[in-house]
Amino acid sequence: MLPKVLALVSIGRHPQSGRERRAEQDGRAVEMGLCLQERQLMHLSVAHAGNADSSVLRQYAGMGLSKLSVLAQQANEDVLSPLIDYVEAQQASMVLMGVRSEMGQSSGMLPYLLAERLGWPLLPRVAEIQSIEEGVAQVLLALPRGQRRLVSVALPFVATLDNAAKAPRQTAFGPGQRADIEVINTTSIADEVAAQWQFTPAKPRPKRMKVVKAKTAADRFKAATAKPVGGGGKVLKNETVEEKAQAIFDFLLEEKVIR
Amino acid sequence: MIFDWLIPSLIATLLVLAAIGALRRVNFWRAGQAEKVDMWAGLLAMPKRYLHDLHHVVERDKYMSRTHVATGGGFVLAMVLVILVHLFDIQSRILAWMLLAALGMMFCGALFVFKRRLNPPSRLSKGPWMRLPKSLLTFAITFFVLTLPAAGILPESLSLSNIGLTLVSLVLALLVLLSLGEMLFGMTWGGPMKHAFAGALHLAFHRRPERFGGGRSTGLKPANLGGESHGVAKPEDFKWNQLLGFDACVQCGRCEAMCPAFAAGQPLNPKKLIQDMVVGLAGGTDEKYAGSPYPNVPVGKASGSPQEIITEGLVSADTLWSCTTCRACVEECPMMIEHVDAIVDMRRFLTLEKGDTPNKGAEVLENIIATDNPNGYAPGSRTHWAADQNLAVMKDVKKAEVLFWVSDGAFDMRSQRILRAFVKLLKAANVNVAILGDEERDSGDVARRLGDDATFQSLAKRNLATLAQYKFSTLVTTDPHAFHCLKNEYADFDQAGALKDVEVLHHTTFLNRLIEQGMLQVDRFKGGKVTYHDPCYLGRYNGEYDSPRALLSSLGIEVAEMERSGYRSRCCGGGGGAPITDIPGERRIADMRMEDVAATGAELVAVGCQQCTAMLEGVVEPRPQVRDIAEIMAEHLVEQLVEHTVEGAA
Amino acid sequence: MTEHEDILRRDPRAEWIARNRLHPLHQAMTQVSAVVRGPSGLIRKNPHQVGFIGPNGIKRIDRLAGNGQTATGAKRRSSAAQEVTLPLHQVVEPNAYIIVVPDMAGGRLTAQDKDILGLAHELAKQRKALNADENLAVVAVCFGESKEAQFDEAGVDRLIHLLSAEYEGFAPEKRLQALLQIESIYQPKHWLFPDSVHGGTDLALRLAVKLDERPAAQAWQVSIDTTTCRAASGSQDIQRETPRILMILEECGQAIDETRHEVLPLALEVESSVEVRLEDKGLIAVDPNAVPLAEAEFILSAGNGIHNWQQFHDCAALLGATEGASRVAVDDGYMPRMRQVGASGTWVTARVYVAVGISGAIQHMQGIGQCDKIVAINTDAGCDMVKRADLAVIADSEEVLAVLCRLAQQHTGKTLEQTETTSEVSHVA
Ligand SMILES: Cc1cc2nc3c(=O)[nH]c(=O)nc-3n(C[C@H](O)[C@H](O)[C@H](O)COP(=O)(O)OP(=O)(O)OC[C@H]3O[C@@H](n4cnc5c(N)ncnc54)[C@H](O)[C@@H]3O)c2cc1C
Ligand code: SF4
Ligand code: SF4
Repeated sequence: MLPKVLALVSIGRHPQSGRERRAEQDGRAVEMGLCLQERQLMHLSVAHAGNADSSVLRQYAGMGLSKLSVLAQQANEDVLSPLIDYVEAQQASMVLMGVRSEMGQSSGMLPYLLAERLGWPLLPRVAEIQSIEEGVAQVLLALPRGQRRLVSVALPFVATLDNAAKAPRQTAFGPGQRADIEVINTTSIADEVAAQWQFTPAKPRPKRMKVVKAKTAADRFKAATAKPVGGGGKVLKNETVEEKAQAIFDFLLEEKVIR
Repeated sequence: MIFDWLIPSLIATLLVLAAIGALRRVNFWRAGQAEKVDMWAGLLAMPKRYLHDLHHVVERDKYMSRTHVATGGGFVLAMVLVILVHLFDIQSRILAWMLLAALGMMFCGALFVFKRRLNPPSRLSKGPWMRLPKSLLTFAITFFVLTLPAAGILPESLSLSNIGLTLVSLVLALLVLLSLGEMLFGMTWGGPMKHAFAGALHLAFHRRPERFGGGRSTGLKPANLGGESHGVAKPEDFKWNQLLGFDACVQCGRCEAMCPAFAAGQPLNPKKLIQDMVVGLAGGTDEKYAGSPYPNVPVGKASGSPQEIITEGLVSADTLWSCTTCRACVEECPMMIEHVDAIVDMRRFLTLEKGDTPNKGAEVLENIIATDNPNGYAPGSRTHWAADQNLAVMKDVKKAEVLFWVSDGAFDMRSQRILRAFVKLLKAANVNVAILGDEERDSGDVARRLGDDATFQSLAKRNLATLAQYKFSTLVTTDPHAFHCLKNEYADFDQAGALKDVEVLHHTTFLNRLIEQGMLQVDRFKGGKVTYHDPCYLGRYNGEYDSPRALLSSLGIEVAEMERSGYRSRCCGGGGGAPITDIPGERRIADMRMEDVAATGAELVAVGCQQCTAMLEGVVEPRPQVRDIAEIMAEHLVEQLVEHTVEGAA
Repeated sequence: MTEHEDILRRDPRAEWIARNRLHPLHQAMTQVSAVVRGPSGLIRKNPHQVGFIGPNGIKRIDRLAGNGQTATGAKRRSSAAQEVTLPLHQVVEPNAYIIVVPDMAGGRLTAQDKDILGLAHELAKQRKALNADENLAVVAVCFGESKEAQFDEAGVDRLIHLLSAEYEGFAPEKRLQALLQIESIYQPKHWLFPDSVHGGTDLALRLAVKLDERPAAQAWQVSIDTTTCRAASGSQDIQRETPRILMILEECGQAIDETRHEVLPLALEVESSVEVRLEDKGLIAVDPNAVPLAEAEFILSAGNGIHNWQQFHDCAALLGATEGASRVAVDDGYMPRMRQVGASGTWVTARVYVAVGISGAIQHMQGIGQCDKIVAINTDAGCDMVKRADLAVIADSEEVLAVLCRLAQQHTGKTLEQTETTSEVSHVA
């Protein structure tokens, strides 16, 4: 029997329309699970804690899942305990999920709490699972700007997925509609701490102005005469080629893309 | 004597074999899905459809049309008479003479067929088709000779006595076997003459009978949602009359010659596609195919059967995704075969069942689902372009004479110039107009052409529900794709009748009416030479070729027509989601179209579609300028009229 | 500039740090430049202090030193002599702590780190106003090698610098253990972490779970009693009481710029008993050209205006840029399809995008909408790319690229062959 990987999915939120959608990282978790299954390394199951009627679940199922389990939950209930019970009941040895949910508190705590309560190690921001041999996985973590770090870890573990992980496959309408959505009733506990918090639509966060605290007259002059940012760029036309190239080079140095 | 029974029994045998073949063929078609057809009406209408509609298309090639009348007409007549004279042995000189005349006519036609085949253009299939003129000639000559006695030209007794003549009659019998074999046996067992049998029935049982008698039927048929499978996966998933339609193909390659994707070296050839469908419905391989291949795809490796998945061995998915749904092939097909329907049916399977829409397809569909526009813009920013336009919004006014359907061009800076130009014209003519504002959604065109009928239907229903809330008598749009959806495809979902009494118009038609009514006045255009590009979804899909030209002539422009214009206009490459699936070819369709433009020497190409504008402007400079007609009109608007009408209105 | 201003003044503190190898700033102060002034003002070179020892025990030279913004040491000091010396903020015998765990990406405080240090002082000030007896120190915890030389100007009162190799690289378990130790010794009032992909978020969440706290994630407005956090992918704000553990977004504090701080070391003994289950196998050498286009930081992109393709590839390699292309370059077969930037190619997020011979068609522009800085090299001053560019050069692409190649070679001291065979860090044997 292949070891089991469990992908946990949530309801995402489209950044422009605010509508429900397949969450980007959760979709990647399912994708990674499907790939592990296709490579015959693990067997995938997918679960969601929340409302079983959301049409977004059909979008996840449309990636090619015959079944998706829903731990029935209300919006502001604590999902941790039911999830732990579920992971244990499934005898999963890997849990994949997004770094942060796109709706709700988005604290990113869930994977850490899950790992802690299960006593498993947690891998943050995974880009790829290279191999699993004799219960040890070689995992690539995503670092900013396309950099990668190789980490080796024994199963079982919890991993969160970075956006650098393989993009989720297209969801197909037909299989999504036909998939079996299995509802599991759970005993739920209200999240009383969060109930104290106030949720409001996000206030715009002012972009910080560069406050120039000039210490010398020269600095003040510079600050006063500097071109405002974003008001069209500098064009070099009549300089020599040498000067032009040097200007570009200095720009690249200043932007720290040349090291 | 041999002679007495040999020929009739040959004819009889071949007729029986043909009948068996016909039954077998009918069974292939019956493997398809049920589709309601008015059989009797169709059969009764068939001769007229053949003579009128089919010939209307064939007529575009005068040579071929005359040839076909002579050969085909001659053959049908001759065959009936052969059965009467030679099989039932009806002794009538008149019949015999008629038969001779029919054969003579057929002979003349066949000579021209023969001539055409001496140096055939590349679009024609070779193989058995090269044999056909010879078979036709043989048929005509053999039966001519055989009929001479019956016509009293040769004495009948001669044939009884002479041993030499016995030999001759044996030879004649062989020729009868060969030629009649081609004509009868071949007709139902898959030879070139199959087109006559299947073609006749296809005309009778066509899936779009509205197309006959000068009508137009271009809207896609809705997919049934919610079943065990969606779209066409296997040949047997087509409707039975679609299968029949494939069998009607004469491999004339007119579709191939018109197909922009084929010309661009993308892996699509509509003729080969139809032939592959024939392979699929009958089972087998494409080894015997003797026409142009899909560009850069070798022939002979494809195989399929009615129960096998088409994209797993018969046709590659790239072939299906190369199509721009420009309908040039359908417009040109003398057998009135519906290529686009078939292609979209198969795409539906790939998208709805396999989740396999190439390149940006998946992303675009996801965006449409989550934001109601293909680029994923915030739905609340749909009306930003009109912030300074002072346009009435339906939500506030509830009714207006004209509803301006803005389309997704609202999000695109280039298209916004067209929108603004059109609004300027509307205002100048003092039209009582409103827009839906943020309540408008993508028309669903792209989703539907990409095979996602679920999303299309959802959009259509939601748009219709919005439209149903308001009163307007005319809906006008600058986007031919939205125009087509609203005019031809929404009706299937419009239970509430939101568009029932509404006239849906393209902006060129609408503007032309304003000009005709004197509501708008424009200056003479003073630039250089101008040509006009017919957008597929305006021209072939909706038959509007005249209004844009009338508008241009109102500006004093004499359009320097491109060789391919009007119903033969070459696609810009922007339809059917083709820029999204972006299947690589050897060249870009838009580049070829720009070459067509440049060949006229025009400095400006007028279009009537934001998508065409984007595609043609995507061609690298130097190239002629690209303008929507609304833009050209707005630039030449005579303004003082405005104050006039505003006063009048106030 | 008068002679007077050029007089070299002795900086006893700097000299003391330079002598004291155990001082947390010792490394930072001495590695930047190997130049040390003797008591008489003479320049003394310490040949052993060229470079520093990298994580895997190999000696490395940071060639940017002296060029980069963070360069300090002697060069900076001499011109700073004209500036007012910033007043020193002293905390004597602190009795309360706010701990900041900076990312130190690349071994230096990031802008976000500095903002958070500033925020820590802001919180300290607010606390002081409520309770004058509280003598609060802002402590920075720094893991592994550091190149940072300006802890003092960034607002670090106390520094816990855990230099041991076991904290290097990816070591969340070890680091967490150290943080737990700090927790038990110092009982900090707050823990501040950058909410970032550099590890800040990860470590904060690990700590929060261990301490059974409900941390504030994506916090952007923090006072001592209430905190506002972003939630639901930035579409909502949560207002809540300020917890002990905070993960702070970028640009949410005002970096210190008017005081210097003591940077006194705080000792920390960490028992190394934790079981390490995540085994770091190190960074994977990533060829800039193998970086997925969408993630690349620096893209050199080619269009129809490139005529010498070999030169273009060489230039990208020398500059260490990821290659991109316009559709025409792809259509014409010079570049593979996966390199296409734009509406029907990849939407890139590079910080710097250099467009060489690209006109700036709308479909191309769509793909670079998220780029920070655009540089254009084009012969046509009127084209849309030039209009959009932050820096545009009107010249023939081949000529400009030729000079750029040469400049890059001079800068790194490497030839093309070397860039292709060695990794980014230059090794000094
Ligand atoms: C549906 C659609 C999708 C498209 N998708 C994309 C896409 O994803 N990505 C994309 O890039 N394009 C896309 N295009 C094509 C786009 O419209 C342009 O055609 C294309 O971007 C132009 O590429 P270019 O700038 O390299 O070429 P050009 O437009 O020919 O520009 C070449 C530039 O190089 C300059 N130049 C010439 N010689 C030199 C020299 N010696 N030195 C310096 N400069 C020189 C010229 O001044 C000019 O500005 C799309 C088009 C369509 C219709
Ligand atoms: S599909 Fe129509 S146009 Fe094409 S080859 Fe067949 S008959 Fe001719
Ligand atoms: S619709 Fe146009 S692109 Fe598609 S097959 Fe027909 S001619 Fe070719």
